[in-house]
Amino acid sequence: MDQIYNNSYLFMAIFLLLGIFLPFATIWVIGPFLRPHNPTKEKISTYESGVEPTGDAMVQFNVRYYLFALLFVIFDVETVFLYPWAVAYDNLSSFALIEMVIFVFMLAVGLAYAWKKKVLTWD
Amino acid sequence: MTDLLHLNWGLLAPELTIVIIATVITVADLVMNDKGDRRVFGWISVIGIIIAIYFTVNQLNNPNGVEYLLNNTYRVDSFGSLFKLIFLVGTGLVFIMAINYIDKKEIKYDGEMYYLLLTALLGAMMMASSADLITLYIGLELLSISSYIMAGMKKNNLKSNEAAYKYVIIGGVSSAIFLYGASYIYGLTGTSNIIEMASRLPNAYHGDYKFYVYLGSFMMLVGLAYKISVVPNYMWAPDVYEGAPTPITAFLSVISKAAGFAIITRIFVTLFVPLVIAVDPKTNQQMTFFSHELALYLAVIAALTMIVGNTMALRQTNVKRLLALSSVAQAGYILVPLATLTVVSVNNIIFYLMAYLLMNIGVFTVVTIVNKDAGTEDIRSFAGLYHRSPLLGVAMTFFLMSLAGLPITAGFIGKFNIFVGALIEDAYWLAGVMLLTSVISYFYYFNIVRQMYMRPGHTEAPLRVAYSLQLVILLTFLGTVLIGLLPNVALDFIANNLNINDMFNLGITK
Repeated sequence: MDQIYNNSYLFMAIFLLLGIFLPFATIWVIGPFLRPHNPTKEKISTYESGVEPTGDAMVQFNVRYYLFALLFVIFDVETVFLYPWAVAYDNLSSFALIEMVIFVFMLAVGLAYAWKKKVLTWD
Repeated sequence: MTDLLHLNWGLLAPELTIVIIATVITVADLVMNDKGDRRVFGWISVIGIIIAIYFTVNQLNNPNGVEYLLNNTYRVDSFGSLFKLIFLVGTGLVFIMAINYIDKKEIKYDGEMYYLLLTALLGAMMMASSADLITLYIGLELLSISSYIMAGMKKNNLKSNEAAYKYVIIGGVSSAIFLYGASYIYGLTGTSNIIEMASRLPNAYHGDYKFYVYLGSFMMLVGLAYKISVVPNYMWAPDVYEGAPTPITAFLSVISKAAGFAIITRIFVTLFVPLVIAVDPKTNQQMTFFSHELALYLAVIAALTMIVGNTMALRQTNVKRLLALSSVAQAGYILVPLATLTVVSVNNIIFYLMAYLLMNIGVFTVVTIVNKDAGTEDIRSFAGLYHRSPLLGVAMTFFLMSLAGLPITAGFIGKFNIFVGALIEDAYWLAGVMLLTSVISYFYYFNIVRQMYMRPGHTEAPLRVAYSLQLVILLTFLGTVLIGLLPNVALDFIANNLNINDMFNLGITK
C-alpha cells in the first residue's frame, strides 16, 4: 500500500511526459516524414463544417454569452440530478418527490431572477 | 433504507426559517417595482432571525444529547448551537445597521443585500453544525460567495470593486489550499466524517504516513486562515474592510470570523486532539502530536498575528482599515486558547467571540453613524464627537476599552481568561507576546478616544441618531458592560450549555 501510494507519482510523471511527447512527435518529428506534402488552395483553407469560410477566426464574442452559458450550466446540472431521480423513482419514497419539487422550485426562482434582471433579452 | 420523511427534520428549524425568509425576500424583491422601499425586507429578516434564535435556544440543553441527520452531515450539538446563537444575534444587529446605512444612490440593488446577508448567515450556520468535511466546505463556500458579492455592493465605487475582486481571488486560492489539504486527510482515512476520521487518523499517523498528516493539517489551517484573517492570509483584510459597505465590514469582521473559528475549532479539536492520547503500538508509549507540534505552529501563527495586526494598525488613518487590522489582532488572541489547549479552551473561545461580537458591532455602528455624518472615513471624523453626542462618545469609549482589554468590560474578562489559560499551559512567551501587543494596541485605540474628547470638531451641532441604531448601541453597550461587571452570568451560561464531549460523539438519530 505504502509503495503504491508513493510510486503513483512516478506513474503520473511518466504519463505526463508521454502525454506531452506524443503529440509533439506526431505533428513535428515523425509526421513530416510519413505524410505526403501536396497542399492545394482548398486544403489549406480553414475547415468550417463544409461551408465557405468567412471572416477571421479571432472573433470577439458578446459578453452576454457568458450569462447564457451560466444559465445553461444551471439547467444542465438540473438534468443531471433529475435523470437518475426519474430512473429510480419507483424505488424512492414520496419524500423524493417533495425534495425534487423543492429543488426545481429553487431553480425556478433563479430563472425568474435572471429573467427579471434582463439576462434573457439580448439588448 | 430509512424513510427520509420520518427523520426528525425539526432539527433543521433554525436553518429552514432562514431559507424560507431568504426565498420569500428574493421573490418579493423581483416582484416589487424598482422604486419601492426595500427596508421592509430588512425588518422581515430581523423577525425571521428572532424566530430562528427562538428555535436555537430550544435546541440548547437537548435531553437527547447529540442528534444528527443524514449520517452526521447535519448535527445538533451544544457547540454548534452556541455558535449559531452568536451568528444569529450578530447578523440581526448587522441587519438593523444595514437598514439605516443603505443609500439608494450608492447601492442600487439594495434588496439583494438583505437576502445575501441571509444566505451568508445560512452558510455560517452550516459551518457550525456539521461533522462532515464536505458539508462544512459547502457552508464555507455559501458564506464566502455571498460575502464576495456583498463586498462589491457599491457597484460604482472603485474601492468596493477592488475589495470584491481581492476577496474573490484570495478566497478562491485559500479554498483550493484547504481542499487540497483535506484531500490528503481523506486519502489517509477513507471517510469525510471528521469523527470517524479522528478514530482512523492515529493509525495513519503511527503508520508511515506521518508526513501526509502534517501536510494535510498544515494546508487545511493555511486555507482556513483566510476566513479568520490571521497570518499567513491576512493581507486582504484592510483592503476588503475598507472597500465594503460598513455593515458588511461588521458582518465580515464578526460573523464571518466567528464562523471561521467554529470550523477551525471543530476540525482541529475533533480531528487532531485524539492523536494526543494515541498509544504508539511499537514502544507502548503515549504519543504527542497535537500538543507539541501543531500547537506550536498554532502558537507561532497566533503570536505573529498579534504582532503584525497591532503594529500595522498604529499608522492607519482610515478608521475602517484600523478596525480591520485590530480585528486581525483580535483573531490572534482567539487563536491562543487553541494553541494552548485546556478543558476550558472552547469555553474561552466562545466567551471571547461573544464579547467580540458585542464590542465590534458596537464600534461599527458608531463608525457607520459618524462616517455617514462626516462623509469621510478618516479618523479625524471622530473629532469632537463627545461634545456633539455625549452618550455616543461614552459608548464608543467603552467599546474601545473592551477591544483594548481594559477592566469592567467584556473584552477584559475574555482576554484575562485566555491569558490565564496560556499561563496554565506554561506558554509564557505566548502570554508575554499577548501582553505586549495589547499594550501597543492601547495607542491606536486611544487615538480615537483622544479625537473624540480633546480635538475640536468641524461642527458642534448635535448628532442625530436613528432610533433603531440607538437600540443597537444600547444593546451592545449594556452587553459589553454587564458581561464585564458580572462575567459569571455569561461564563455559567456557556459552561451549562456546552458539553465538550459532544464534539467527539457520533450522536443518535431518530
